[in-house]
Amino acid sequence: MITINYFGNIAEAAQSDSETLDLKSVSLEDLLSLLDTKYGISKFQFQVAVNRKIISTKQGLSLSDRDEIALLPPFSGG
Amino acid sequence: MERFQRQTILPGIGISGQQKLQNSKVLVVGAGGLGCAVLPYLASAGVGNLGIVDGDKIELSNLHRQVLYSEKSIGEFKVVEAEKVLTSMNSELTITIYPVFLTLENVDNLLQEYDFVIDATDNTEVRYILDEACRVAGKAMIYGSIFRFQGQVSVFNYQGGPSYRSLFPEEEQSSLNCAEAGVLGTTVGMIGMLQANEALKIILGIGEILSGKILIYNMLKNDQQIFELAVQMEPVSEKVTSPTIDLISAGKALGEGGLLLDVRELGEKPVVALANCIQIPLSVLESRLDEISKEAKITVFCQSGTRAISVAKILKKANFQQVKAIRGGASDVVKLIENEVKSVEKQD
Repeated sequence: MITINYFGNIAEAAQSDSETLDLKSVSLEDLLSLLDTKYGISKFQFQVAVNRKIISTKQGLSLSDRDEIALLPPFSGG
Repeated sequence: MERFQRQTILPGIGISGQQKLQNSKVLVVGAGGLGCAVLPYLASAGVGNLGIVDGDKIELSNLHRQVLYSEKSIGEFKVVEAEKVLTSMNSELTITIYPVFLTLENVDNLLQEYDFVIDATDNTEVRYILDEACRVAGKAMIYGSIFRFQGQVSVFNYQGGPSYRSLFPEEEQSSLNCAEAGVLGTTVGMIGMLQANEALKIILGIGEILSGKILIYNMLKNDQQIFELAVQMEPVSEKVTSPTIDLISAGKALGEGGLLLDVRELGEKPVVALANCIQIPLSVLESRLDEISKEAKITVFCQSGTRAISVAKILKKANFQQVKAIRGGASDVVKLIENEVKSVEKQD
């Protein structure tokens, strides 16, 4: 199981703050493209954190069971 | 010192800590929801020198969250009213007010006198300008921002730490600000309080600073998470060359004529009924660009100015020649039209 936490406008697009996907192993890239198909996340600017560490999505990281992913867009209100 | 006795007896503060507070110089950019939370706590704690930057005036729709202001201060400059209230809290402060908006032109001058900056703006464009100026000047920028019931806090450019731009490289599509997304006073209050708290820690040299980290608070769930920025964020080698947009007031825009482009989504209020105004929502803009002449004089507006700036940039990149954006939004335009109608009626 991989947990994905959504923040800001991405949570609104996903209509949820969090979900778990029954994936044993998947690359970060494939996960993001899956989420793009589901929620159209590529139209947002965001950073990706894996287990609370923001990482470059270009790293070609493979995720493992129980990883926690977060999609973090910038906010702008004040 | 009796005044500060309850805080000077704290471990790590003492008389010397109070002296540090007294000698420090903090610039607060934005005297809106976040600024109204940050400022009274810095003033009460005895931060000796405060600069406040904001070109806005107080409106009725500010009062539910901008708690420094009252009904009788509507129409006044926010910085003027903030200075009055803060001085009544602590008469020994030196407060310098700047009733202007921060721009590329004035940012370096504004920063000069201060040790670090609190970013309490609601505007992404201004945030990037401030971030870059702080990075170059080696001054920390305490960032706070809101999206509906969530808030973010971080300290950028602290002792050579990551900048805002290295976390979020500039892009055209900005997220909504308060005028567009809505906000509760308690949300800006809590995030502003966290910013003020970082400011006191930096001055006093206590605790862990939120540098290289971003905190996200969800007010609906009372959930707080801290994310670490990558050790090696994408290097900011060169300043991203994004077109700068000429921001003008609604009054100037109406005076100058040309085409007014409303990029709000259908159904957003108030409706602007003017012969020279057309509405093309941001969501469908790119497919409808051919409806506007590239030579036309275009002034873009939305609800608060954020989307207008994004669209103005898109238009400039698509080779539209004369593009400006309205600072503020549709309600300013409508107010001006109404006033004009009234003055015409009076003349009759």
